[in-house]
Amino acid sequence: MSEHLPVLRVMEPGTIPARGLNLKADVVIIGSGASGAVMAYELCRAGAEVVVLEAGPYIRSTEFQEHAPTALETLYADHGNQVNTTGDLSVLQGKCIGGSTVVNAAVCFRAPDQVLEHWITEYGLENLAPEALAPYFERVERNLSIHQNAPHEVNYNGRLLIEGAKKIGIPAEATTRNVKNCALSGHCISACRTDRKQSMLVTYLPWASELGATILSGTQAETFEVRNRRINAVNAVAVDEDGAEKAVRVEAGLVVVAAGAIQTPLLFQKNALGNSSGQVGLNFACHPSLAVFGEHDQDIYAWVGATITAHAGDIENPLKGGYLLEAGMVGPVVTSTWVDGGAGSEYVEFMQRSKRFQAAVTLIHDHNVGRVFLDGDRKRIEYDIDDRDFEALREALRGTARIYFAAGAKRVYLPTTRRTTIESADAIDSAINALTNGKHKYRLTSYHPQGTMRMGADPSRSVVGPDGRCHDLDNVYVPDASLFPSSLLVNPQLTVYGMASYIADGIVARG
Amino acid sequence: MKHKLYRRTFTKLGLLSGGALVIPAIGPAPAAASAAVALTADERMLIEAFSEALLPTEGTSLKPRSDVPIVDNVGHALSLLDEPTLEQVRIGLKLFDYGAYVVGFHLTRFVNLSVERRLAYIHRWEDGIAMQRGIVDLLKKLTYVGYWQDIEAGRAIGYRGPVSVAGGIPNLGNAPMPKSESTR
Repeated sequence: MSEHLPVLRVMEPGTIPARGLNLKADVVIIGSGASGAVMAYELCRAGAEVVVLEAGPYIRSTEFQEHAPTALETLYADHGNQVNTTGDLSVLQGKCIGGSTVVNAAVCFRAPDQVLEHWITEYGLENLAPEALAPYFERVERNLSIHQNAPHEVNYNGRLLIEGAKKIGIPAEATTRNVKNCALSGHCISACRTDRKQSMLVTYLPWASELGATILSGTQAETFEVRNRRINAVNAVAVDEDGAEKAVRVEAGLVVVAAGAIQTPLLFQKNALGNSSGQVGLNFACHPSLAVFGEHDQDIYAWVGATITAHAGDIENPLKGGYLLEAGMVGPVVTSTWVDGGAGSEYVEFMQRSKRFQAAVTLIHDHNVGRVFLDGDRKRIEYDIDDRDFEALREALRGTARIYFAAGAKRVYLPTTRRTTIESADAIDSAINALTNGKHKYRLTSYHPQGTMRMGADPSRSVVGPDGRCHDLDNVYVPDASLFPSSLLVNPQLTVYGMASYIADGIVARG
Repeated sequence: MKHKLYRRTFTKLGLLSGGALVIPAIGPAPAAASAAVALTADERMLIEAFSEALLPTEGTSLKPRSDVPIVDNVGHALSLLDEPTLEQVRIGLKLFDYGAYVVGFHLTRFVNLSVERRLAYIHRWEDGIAMQRGIVDLLKKLTYVGYWQDIEAGRAIGYRGPVSVAGGIPNLGNAPMPKSESTR
């Protein structure tokens, strides 16, 4: 007898009556990504009536096309065009049912102990000590089949990273991912066509749906009805395929804003709410990332297999200059935008040789120097690379180049906007030392916006308290990556899942 | 006055999402985009001239550039931008094209230069001020993505493109409900 699999039921804008919709629930959750989905399931499991409002569309996995440009257009915020105000940093976020979990590379790390300890000493978050969060991480790891890549899940590109790193004494190993029976299609960031990635689309959301959650897609939360430190209702707008707008109002005793580190602060700013600290939208960090290619004599086909297979770096020491390098590559569209291959015949040759490239992306623990705000009705992400973070970026590039040459590369391509190569290991230092900070000099991408609704014990320095509740509002919780008082260095999804589980348990325990 | 206007436009373009613009595009079918922005004749000429310099596929193993509707694909990509950003992009394209009158003193538009001079002009912008770097990087990304989104173009360099349907890999469906919860 086959096992019953839970069904995800989503109310799409086309099914909402023209007169609109009035709903009542115990809890309304804004956002269906990593934190919203976990909160929905955990609160349903405790018997709550839950409504989830997702601004993005509901796209079924059978509609995923394993084609990066199509995925960017249909599944990402601003069709993949979300950038900082300078215009030299792409900030990628999912905007669909399941949020960024649908389009990420499935990489899972727990928050480094050093970061959590820093949160205790600097922000009074004793409740988030590593041992306190451990049971929540364990629960999520179990639920999402999180495991270290088996040998067959580490492609040649990943093996080269491990081999090169170990030769020069840099820690490296296979990466841990939330994947079940991975088909190794290499299309993680274009969304998993065959439901192997255990994103929220195929796990916590259908589980919540099975327990009675009402989930709406294409429905953008706009305004709050507030009285006596409480949000009593959320007003949203659903837009159907014909462009017709339909009003959706949800009255609820508890409001969870889980729209991510860009949209969550904007919603608070738009409603002039929760900002007695003046911190809403500040402290933006994003793990600015660079890709580096190393050319070998033999074919590598780095894009074949899992998207991210192995990593290297001193990830236990993010506060002491540690960086993280993740072996991965995604086809010619992304190859073209990650690293500049030049122009004319040199570019054509670069692309013809791309199957021989070893590839990795860098992550650093950046400082919270950015801010997110509304300029009229347009969102702005103000963030430029801080000089301190540029030093960390250079060290990450230096480490990557050293690993590549140790692994046998004959040339390294740096992610500058003007083609830059390093032709030998002896030339690494001079090439890296010559790099200077500046606008439009590097091909920067962020996959991990965070930090804009800082959590902390002191209401004058933070927006959200240690239990996830807004200092200024009695029935409003924020469980997404905007909470992080400082950046993690590592991919944040597992930390978001764990913290959302923790916050949900606290809500249930308090009744 | 002219100088002031030039500087003001460049300052405005400082807000332009040029350098990091990841340009999405049409679906896998290598056909012309359906809902493209109506590019002006000048814009079409610029994208065509730019791609001719950047992607000399003749005599190589790559799919011929002329077999991929790069200009239409770029038009579609631009159609996904919001109106203020699109307006700034259009200013940037114009600056790049007509900038050849003064940058390098070619005394003509970019589109009128020989391929060799176009490449030299592109490199000059790559080495220019932040705004020039942003605009030329945007143009490169638009052109490259307009070309490489074509699945057959990718296959010419060994990239497989979509694999799951062709490979008959089954969908696993939603995950079963968790069986036990220990932390509550």
